[in-house]
Amino acid sequence: MSVYQINKILYLTDNDAAFRKRMKEEPEAALKDFRLTEGEYDALTSGAVGKLYQMGVHTFLLNHLSRYELFGVNRDNYLSRIREGMEYDPRFEQGKMPMQYFIKG
Amino acid sequence: MKQVRRCVDEAEPDLIIEVDSDHFVNFFYNNLPSFCIGMAEEAQGPQETWCPMPRYTVRGHVPLAKALFRHGVNAKFDFAAAHELRLDHSLVVPLHFLNPSMELPVVPIYTNGFASPLPLATRCFSLGRMLRGFIEAWEGKERIALIASGCFAMDVGGPLRGWTDTEWMETISGLLVRGQYQALARRATEERINAAGNNSGELLNWITVTGAVGKTKPLFLENDEGSGYAVWKFE
Repeated sequence: MSVYQINKILYLTDNDAAFRKRMKEEPEAALKDFRLTEGEYDALTSGAVGKLYQMGVHTFLLNHLSRYELFGVNRDNYLSRIREGMEYDPRFEQGKMPMQYFIKG
Repeated sequence: MKQVRRCVDEAEPDLIIEVDSDHFVNFFYNNLPSFCIGMAEEAQGPQETWCPMPRYTVRGHVPLAKALFRHGVNAKFDFAAAHELRLDHSLVVPLHFLNPSMELPVVPIYTNGFASPLPLATRCFSLGRMLRGFIEAWEGKERIALIASGCFAMDVGGPLRGWTDTEWMETISGLLVRGQYQALARRATEERINAAGNNSGELLNWITVTGAVGKTKPLFLENDEGSGYAVWKFE
């Protein structure tokens, strides 16, 4: 398991503008330097948020996939994706994603 | 928040010690201290591009930070020290309201409220007691405001995003209002905190401050969707 590596990718996406640009424009090249298993690589690049969650990726970092709209993940599908594979919970009904504003630069 | 601002203004502090939990901006799993003192002369933030607020330069106070580090070591609190800081939203948001001119220097104390395993809440309470001792022993003439940043119960990015653990929030508020701080520290296990969402460890910052206030009860406490605002006064 290399959950640490996935956490690191998401951490760098949020904190390193140059890395974020690469993740947007050439994700395959950006991910080359990280040691991911095939399953982890596939889960990440297919935006399988639920699988990544089950693997133990930190949820605050996982949320960056929706913030930066990587691998098809966005505000509208994030919650349904992370819940894939979970049993229904009535608390889901209250779930909502906040609006997102970005500062340019 | 306006009420908090008024109380802080009336107290006329010269300096702020802010207890905060970083959100993977200054720290990451490669190096993540349970407790760390910010020793930078100044630092900028918030660094997050998704945080819609002004960017600030916040001044530190190196002599106090160093004295606190030394005081902590003598009291068996082995802090980490960070001489360079990238400030995140949780550190800057309270300052945006309480110190908008950024004239007051700020010494951050980071607690790991975010990445399991968290420090024990009872340990944070003891940390607060130690802080009180430090503030009372501080030789400078500065009046010190002690601020905790953080919510009671919130999840950002987990499957329960949007849900608020009102039961836990009300338990916390009740114990705070009644001054039952040690009971709160005992009940705030990591399991209970995590059940309320991935941001709920910020409660540790509140618990740290309750360790410093002694038996004093808050002047007021206002709840706000999984979070709250409160002020204590002590001389």
